[in-house]
Formats: sequence, C-alpha cells, structure tokens
Amino acid sequence: MSAVTRRTDVPRVQVPSASPARPARGPARHRGLRVVRWSFLTVLGLYFLVPQLAMARFAFQNVPVVLLNASTLFSKWSVSSLVDALSQAALWDAAKTSAMLAVLSVVLDLALLLPLAIIAEIRAPRLRPVLSALTLLPWVIPPIALVVGVAATFRSVAPGFLTSTLSLVPFYAIWAMPFTYRALDSGLRAINARTLVEAARSLGASELTVLFRVIVPNLSASIVAASGLTAALVLGEFAFASLLLKNTLPTYLVNYQRDSPQAGMALALAVMVLTALALGAVVHMLRRRGLGMSTTGF
Amino acid sequence: MATIEMIGVRKTFGTTVALADLHLQVESGEMVCLLGPSGCGKTTALRLLAGFEQPDAGQILVDGEDVTHVSPRHRGFGMVFQDYSLFPNLTGRQNIAFGLKVRRKGALETAETVDRLLAVTRLEKHADKYPHQMSGGQRQRVALARAIATEPRLLLLDEPLSALDAQVREHLRDEIRRLQQEVGVTTVFVTHDQHEAMAVADRVAVMRDGVLEQIDPPRVLYSRPASQFVAGFVGTVNRLSAERAVDGAWFVLGARVEAVGDTVAVPDAVPVVGEGATADSVPKHAVVRPEQLHVNRAESGAGPVARLVALSFLGAFTRAVIEHPTEGLVTADVLGEAADGLAVGDAVAVSVRPGAGAVVLQ
Repeated sequence: MSAVTRRTDVPRVQVPSASPARPARGPARHRGLRVVRWSFLTVLGLYFLVPQLAMARFAFQNVPVVLLNASTLFSKWSVSSLVDALSQAALWDAAKTSAMLAVLSVVLDLALLLPLAIIAEIRAPRLRPVLSALTLLPWVIPPIALVVGVAATFRSVAPGFLTSTLSLVPFYAIWAMPFTYRALDSGLRAINARTLVEAARSLGASELTVLFRVIVPNLSASIVAASGLTAALVLGEFAFASLLLKNTLPTYLVNYQRDSPQAGMALALAVMVLTALALGAVVHMLRRRGLGMSTTGF
Repeated sequence: MATIEMIGVRKTFGTTVALADLHLQVESGEMVCLLGPSGCGKTTALRLLAGFEQPDAGQILVDGEDVTHVSPRHRGFGMVFQDYSLFPNLTGRQNIAFGLKVRRKGALETAETVDRLLAVTRLEKHADKYPHQMSGGQRQRVALARAIATEPRLLLLDEPLSALDAQVREHLRDEIRRLQQEVGVTTVFVTHDQHEAMAVADRVAVMRDGVLEQIDPPRVLYSRPASQFVAGFVGTVNRLSAERAVDGAWFVLGARVEAVGDTVAVPDAVPVVGEGATADSVPKHAVVRPEQLHVNRAESGAGPVARLVALSFLGAFTRAVIEHPTEGLVTADVLGEAADGLAVGDAVAVSVRPGAGAVVLQ
C-alpha cells in the first residue's frame, strides 16, 4: 500500500515549460490521474471497510439489530460479547487443534516440496513446468471431490484413518501446494541455487551440507513465506473440516455463531484482525531483511 | 600443484557437439587461458574439469590419476564463478572459511588461513561484510580467496572478471596473476577477452567450435598464429592478397613476407617464371597485422592511389584506415609522432615492413 500512496505524491520533478504559448498540460494530466487513483482506492477501501464496520457494530454494540442506524453509531459499545466467546473452553480446544494442524501441514508440505523443488531446480530443470502444473491441480479439483474420492478409498483400506483429526493434514498439505511450491521455486531462482550448489560442491561439501548450510539458510525467506501462507490457509479452511466432521477453529466458529450470533461475530472479527496482523508482521520482518516481492512473493 | 591432462575428451548436448576430441595438457603451476568466442566449448571444458559435467568419451587425468568420474567434491579443485556465487547468508570471512570447515580443519588453523588470505587479497576491512554489502571487485576477491583457501590441486576460473567494470577488471586481473604465481597453483582460466588472456596466461588455448585451434604462449600466438581465426581473434588483422615467387617466397603489397602458420602446400610442378613473378594462378591471401604495415605520404600521381580515410589517436600509436585501390580498406598502426604529418584525405603509400610475419592462406 505504501508504495502506491507514495507514487500518488505530487511529481517532484517540475517539467520546465518549453514556451508560454503551451499551457502546462503535464501537471494537469497528473492531477487527473491522481483523482482517478484516489477515487479508485477510496472505493476499494469502502468495499472492504463497510462490511467490517457493520460486523463490528453487530458484534460490539449492545443495540438490537433493527435499531443499528446512524443515530446509534456511538451508543452502547462493549467487548462483553468477545469476553463471552473467549471464555468458552471449546474454543480453545478447536484453536489448539487448528494450530496443531497448521504446524503439521507446514511440516508435511515442506518435507514433500522442498526436496522436489530443489531437485527440479538443480538436477532436472525439465521437471519444473511439470511440477508447476501438478501443484496447481489442488485448486482445480474442488474439496468435495477430493474428500469423497479419498474418503471412499480410505474407508475400505484403512477405516480408522478418517476418524482421526490428523487425517486433515494430508488434505491441507495438498491444498497448500500451489502456494508452497511457488514460493520455494521463486526463492530458488532468486538465490541462483544452481551455482551456489556447484560452488559448495567444489569446496567439498556433501549433499546434506549443501542442503542445510547453503540452500535452506538462503531460502529461509521463501520458507517463512510458504509456511505463513500454509498456516493462514489451514486456520481458515472450512470445507474439508466440515465434510470430514472435524472440530477445527473455522467449524467451531460456524457452529458457535449459530448459537450466539453476536459473540460469534466478535470472535470472527478478532480472528480476522489477528491473522492480518500476523501476516503483516511476517511481511515486515522479511522486508527488514531486504527480502521483497521477488524472493518471497509477498 | 598438479599436472592436468584432458585426453580425447568429447561432449555433446543433444545434437550439438560442444567439444570434439579435446587434448589439453596443463603443466604443474602453469596458468592456461581457454580463449574463444561464446559457444566455442571453453566453458564446457572447464565444467568437465570441475566435474559438473561428464564427458561422452575421453579421460581427465590429474598427475596421471584418472578423475573422469570422480565427483566435484572429491576432486580437490577450487573454482571461481562468473557471478561470484558467494553464499549470501555468510560474511566474507565465513565464505572463505566454508571449504575449510567442510573439511573439518581445526578452528585455529581455519582462522589463520582465513586471516592470511584476507591479507593477501586486501580484504581485511571487508571481512565481516555480507556479499550484498560488497562491491563487485570485493566479492570476486572473496570468491578467489574462498577457492584457494583449501589449497586446491587445480584452480578453475570461469570468466571471473566479465561482470566487473573496466578499471576493476584490469586491476583484479593482475591480482589474480600475482596470487596464482605466489601460491603456485595450476590454473585454467576461461575468458572471451583476448587482452585478458594475453596479459595473464603462460599459454593461451584458442578454441573454436569445440576444437582447440592452437595452444601457445601469448607472444607466439600473436606473432605466429596457426590460422586466420587465431590471428583475427588475438588482434586486428588485414586480409591482403599474397603472391608467391618461384623461389617459394611470399610477397604482399610488393614486399617479401615470412609466411607462418597455415602455409599453402607447394604444388609439385612449379612453373619456372622470371624472378619475382608469381608461381600460382589461384589468388592467395595473407593476414597481416596493422603494426606490420608502413604508411608514408605519397605524391598523388597518375592512376589510383591509396587514401587515408580515418585516423584515430590511441595513445602510443595512431590507427589509420586507408582506402587502397586494390586491397579495399586496410588498417595500419603508425607509431608515435610519425602520424603527425598525416591527415585524412592524404594520398599515402602502404607497404609491409621488411621481414614481417604473415599468415598465408589457401
């Protein structure tokens, strides 16, 4: 955002007008562009903010819904609904489950894709387009198809598997592949992994040394980015969890909101703000280490 | 220090022949430059030496030991890459120490070696900077120090200077040579820049289309090139018509030249004609360097004359381009003040300096 707003500043370089006969058309056009830009940003901002303001009013104002109008904008704000929501023990169970799922999914995803991405980049560049296409598949197949297909298979092969909460981990790992692979792939290309590996090998490093002392440290930004995206995806995923009847944070939120709509809304808003802050913090940390869009995709 | 031999090495990529039967021997402590245009196979040769590629045929020997199928990590060679390839997460000092740590050298020994190399490459002040905080020249010096830290049997340099600007390049080129001689490491240096190759190498190997055209010390390469390609690649040349006298002597621009390199095969039956007359009816050409030509002001008489069309002052000499009535454009170098009397548009006489060497072509 900051880059966009910075660019909307008044142009610093004043173009000297060639002759008084020619009116200063340049600055006028810039002003026109500025107006367009700002109105666009304003519309976009309203599009995002108005529903959230509505959510906030519903969640944090102890005013009947029919009376939520302009005149009651500043009355009876309270966080009691959020306190109620946070005092539910079931919430923390669901949150713990989701956090565990997020961590395990990140680990599984990286364990699967990190070696593959490295091999594709260093040993078999011809594999790259194939991998790129393969890792996009999860987005083309709807969750319901994935669940029904996998459920049918496992119910006959390993009936116990789907009853465990952990059965979500493979689904999430597959579901997050497009993000993870892209983040790792662009990272590998940005650090010029191929020659780094050659340099390390000519210095006598073994494959493991190359992996853990050269590639992983230099790929940390991409790994953090991939992990952050995967975790955010898992924390917000509803379809798989609901279809497989698991109690994760999103499914809990949906059920809870059915019983206590106001507290549910407060909780949803809190989760949203927290996630946004967490992602913002990751991006900020990466930027401070000099890692921008090109290496991380953020 | 080691002697390196490549014997009958062949490498193809798909249908492209990168190297066709390469024989190359590098003596212990010697610095050999592989020189040639892009795509001539010089980088492939280097990568085969390093072990990053496997040859389709042939052998690579180090001190007589066959290393053709030994992995790069066990060859004990040092390599410097065109784009430095420093580890971005390590400081200069840590980069230099990498190879020593991998080889499990003691902390004290490692620190001593690194300090010594930092001093030798004049990097003490930048030792604790990360690569992205260093200039191109500093990065390449770190890369060089990293490559020689493990006391390699062979040092491989893959266009190490081509990413640097002219001044740094010249300075670092001399530094590489000094360091190489100090350490006495056998070195193979790949470059497409003939000045670079001529300035540092003990011997220069000129390659073309996967074939080694000539390998000789720079001076020999320049004065006795084996082919027109080599002559053209290691300096400026003129292609002039050559005539052969009955006694076998060659004449270019009316002067006798010493034929070197690709001399033409003398036909068995040489018709005897008068002294100085030509023996062959087929036109021949000779390759003559600009400094082997002599330019004089001439009185514009009757008939076609040579005219000066351009003069450029290059310091120690002035390069003159002459429109010659029979030879077309001819380039000649005029030393020092001899060029003072010349001006563009002058009628001039061009001749070959007596005894100049020239490559005569079929």
